[in-house]
Amino acid sequence: MSNRMLALMMGVVAFLILAVGVVFVIALAGGGNDENTTPASGDGDSRPSTSAGGICNGNSLVIPGSQPNTVLDPIQVVDVSTSEYVVEIFGGLVTLDPQLQVVGDIAEKWEVSNGGRTYTFTLRDNVVFHTGNQRRVTAEDVKYSIERAADPANASPTVVAYLGNIVGLKDRFEGRAPSVSGVKVIDERTLQIDLLEPSDYFIYELTYPVSFVVDRQQIESDPRNWTRNPNGTGPFRLAEFKPAERIRLVKNPRYHLGAPKLDEVIFQLGGGSLLTQYQNDEIHTTPVPASLLDSIKDGSNPLAKDYRSYPALATFYFTLNPNKPPFDDPKVRQAFALSLDRETINSVLLFDYYDVAEGIVPGAMPGRSGTVRTYPYDPDRAKQLLSESKYAGNMPRIVLTYAGSGAAPGDVLVAIQENWQQVLGVTVELQAIDTAAFLREQRQGNFQIQSDGWSADYPDPENFLGKLFASDSPLNYTKYNNPEVDALLKQARVETNRERRYQLYAQAEQKIIDDASIIPTFWSVEHLLVKPCVQGLPNAPMTIPRYRYVEIKEP
Amino acid sequence: MAPGLAGYIVRRLLWAIPVLFAISVIVFYMLRLAPGDPVDSLLGQRYREEEAALIRKKYGYDQPIHIQYVKYMRHLLQGDLGVSTRHQSFTVSEIILPKIWVSARLGFIALVISFFLGIAAGIYAALARGTFLDPLTISFWLAIDAVPIFVAIPFLQWLFAVKLDLIGLSWQGFTSPNIILPILILSLPGTAGIARFVRASVLGVMKEDYVRTARAKGLPERIVVFRHIARNALLPLITIIGLSLPGVAGGSLIIEQMFGIPGIGAESFEAVLAPDFDVILALVLFGSVLFIVANILIDILYAIIDPRIRLGAQRG
Repeated sequence: MSNRMLALMMGVVAFLILAVGVVFVIALAGGGNDENTTPASGDGDSRPSTSAGGICNGNSLVIPGSQPNTVLDPIQVVDVSTSEYVVEIFGGLVTLDPQLQVVGDIAEKWEVSNGGRTYTFTLRDNVVFHTGNQRRVTAEDVKYSIERAADPANASPTVVAYLGNIVGLKDRFEGRAPSVSGVKVIDERTLQIDLLEPSDYFIYELTYPVSFVVDRQQIESDPRNWTRNPNGTGPFRLAEFKPAERIRLVKNPRYHLGAPKLDEVIFQLGGGSLLTQYQNDEIHTTPVPASLLDSIKDGSNPLAKDYRSYPALATFYFTLNPNKPPFDDPKVRQAFALSLDRETINSVLLFDYYDVAEGIVPGAMPGRSGTVRTYPYDPDRAKQLLSESKYAGNMPRIVLTYAGSGAAPGDVLVAIQENWQQVLGVTVELQAIDTAAFLREQRQGNFQIQSDGWSADYPDPENFLGKLFASDSPLNYTKYNNPEVDALLKQARVETNRERRYQLYAQAEQKIIDDASIIPTFWSVEHLLVKPCVQGLPNAPMTIPRYRYVEIKEP
Repeated sequence: MAPGLAGYIVRRLLWAIPVLFAISVIVFYMLRLAPGDPVDSLLGQRYREEEAALIRKKYGYDQPIHIQYVKYMRHLLQGDLGVSTRHQSFTVSEIILPKIWVSARLGFIALVISFFLGIAAGIYAALARGTFLDPLTISFWLAIDAVPIFVAIPFLQWLFAVKLDLIGLSWQGFTSPNIILPILILSLPGTAGIARFVRASVLGVMKEDYVRTARAKGLPERIVVFRHIARNALLPLITIIGLSLPGVAGGSLIIEQMFGIPGIGAESFEAVLAPDFDVILALVLFGSVLFIVANILIDILYAIIDPRIRLGAQRG
C-alpha cells in the first residue's frame, strides 16, 4: 500500500471522528437550549413540563414491574416481586393500609379472647370473587384456603413459618391430621381461629399472602392452570400475563373497600432503559439510579420536581459466623463492627442513598424502639479490642461472600473492605458467588462473613427478630443461637400487651447487636420519580395493595 | 437436484440422532451435578429442608439422575419439553417458543439488512480499489462497528426518543416504529465484517481467467460484475450466512435488556442463573438442532449452486 493511500485512510478516519463529534455537539447544544426555553414558552418542544403527554390522558397506570419469581398463588409466594401482584389480586381476612395499620379486608371486625389464643372474625357480607358467578365469600372459603396452604401436597414454603401457631396446622403439614383443627367455621359469616400460644402479632401474620382467600371451585375444576387466570377478591383482576413482557391488572368494580379509580395497571416486565422511557413519557414512575441521586437531590436536574423518597422496611447487614475463626472471638467481631464508617460511606459514596442503620429492625417499622444503638465508628477502640483478642498478630485468611441480589452493592463492600484494612490492618477478601451457592453455604454455616439483607413481610418487629433470631424459628437461616436472646424472644412472642412486647423486642435486638455476629449497615430507602399527574400513590414502606388509591389527573 | 441428495439428507439426519442424544445426556448430568438447583433459588432465605424436600418431590428432583433422564426423554419424545421453575404456570414450550420467535424475526431482519449493506459495500469497495473510496467505505463501516453498544444504545435512545421525540423505547411489537432502533443496532455493526469478506472475495475472483475472458469478449461491465464476479464471489458467503443462523435465533442479551425486548437472549441468561433445568435443556437442544440443520442446508445449497460439489459417498 502506498504512502498516499495510508494518508488518505487516516484522513477518512479523522473525518469520521469529526463527523461523530459534530453530531454530539449539535445534539448537546440542542439539549441545553431545550432546558432553558421549555418552561416559559412551550414552542419547540410542545409538551409543557407538567403534563406528560399521552400517558396522562388515559386512565391506565404504566409502570415498570419485576418478573414474579413464583406462580401467582398466595401460598407459593416467597418474594417481593410476586407479592406485589398477589396483594392486588387476592385478599385475606385483614390487610394493611398505607400507614401500615391492620384493617379489615374480608373480615369486617375481629375479637381476641381466651388470653390472646382465640381470634374470632366476623366477615363482611359483600365480598365477592372477581369471576365465576361473582360468588360471595363465606367462612368456608377462608377455612378452605388455610387448609389448602397446610396441605403437604401443595408444598407451601411459608405456611409453617407464618401460620404455624394455628392449632393443628403443623400436624396437617406433616401429614398427621386430615385437616387443620384450629380453624372453625361457626356460621357463614363467623370464623374462629385457635392458636397454640397467645400472639399479639398473629393479626400481622395474616396480612401475608399465605392465608389469602382463593376460589375453591376454580382450583378444583382447573387444578393445573388456574393460576393463569386466578380468581381472587382483591381490588384488581389479572387480565393479561405475558412472562418477561407484561402483566396487566384491571379494576374490580365491586371491590368491597371501594373500587379503584384506575381502569388498569400495566406492569412492564421487560426492563429496558427505564429513565429514558420515563423522560419520554412512556411510563409513569421509575426508580432513581444512584448515579443521578446527587443532581436530583440538589435540584440541578430537571427531573428533581418529580422526585420522592421514603424509607423501606428492609435492612442490610453482615453475618459474622461465630463458629469460624477468627469470629469465634467476640472481640474480633466487635472490632469489625467498630471500624465501619457507615456515615461517610453513605454520604460521600452514595449521596445518602440509604439510611445508616441504627438497628436490625428498620427505622420506619411501627413499634421500633428508639433506644437501640449499633456500634459507632470508633477506630481506637476497634484497634484496642483487636489487640486484646486471641487472634492478635495471627489473623487467619478472611473471606466475605456476597450474592448477586439482596445484598449491598459492590462499591459499598469495597469501601467497607477499605475500612477494615485501614483501621484494623486486616485484609478481607471479597468473593461474589451465585445466589444458589450463597444460600447453600449459609445453610451449611460454611462461611466467615456474608453480606445479606432482609425485608419485612409484615410490619412488626417480630418479623425481623423472632423470625430470624429465635433458635427454634423455621426462618432462622443464620442459625443464630443465644439462650439469653431466646428467653427474651419467647417472652415477647406470647406477650399480648403491645407496648411491653415492643420493649422486649428492643432488649433482644440490643443483645443481638452487642453480640456483633450481626452487623447492621444500612436501611433501605426508596427513590422514585413519579409523573405529577399520578396522584395518591402511597409512599408505603413495604408491599401493600397500593394502586386502588391512585388517580391520574392533572395536578 | 443433484443425484443422491435425498439419501444424503437422510444420512445426515440419522447422524444427528446420536449427536443430540450425547448432548442431552451431557447437559442433563451437568445441570444436575452442578452445585445449586432450582429449589435453592425458589426458596431463597426461606429454605427449610422440609419444604425443599416436598418441592423436589413435586418436580421429581429427588429421584436418581438416570431415572429423571429417562422420564425427561419420554416426555420429550411426546413433544413435552417439561415445566419451567421460573414461570411456574407455564410449560417450557409456552415460555421459549414465543421468545425464540421474537428473537428470530428480529435477528433475521437484522441479518438481511447487514448482508444487504455488507455485500453492497464490499462489492463497491472492491470495484473502487485504488481510489480513496475503497478505504473510505470500509473504514466507515469499521468505525460504526467500533462503537461499543453500551455507548451507542443510550446515545441513540436519548437522541431519537427524548431529543427528537420520533420514537418510543418500550417494546410495542413488530408493527411499532419503536423497533427501528434495536434493528439498526443489531444490523449495522455486523456490516463491516461482511463488507471486508465480500471485498476480499471479489478481489480474488476479479483475477480469475473467466473474468478476463468475459471482459475480453466485450461483455458490458454490468454483466461482468453481476453475472461473473458477484455470483462466484458470493458463494463462500453461504457458509457465513448458514453459520450465523443459529446465532440469529439465540437473541442478544444486551440489546434485549436495554430495549426491554421479550426475546430468548434475556430468557436464556435468567434460566442459567436460576437454574431452570428444563428451559436450559430445551434451549441447548434447540441450538444444537439449529446448528445441525444449518450445516446440512449449507451443504445442500453448495451442491445446488455449484454442480462440481458432490455430496457424500457415491454409489456405483
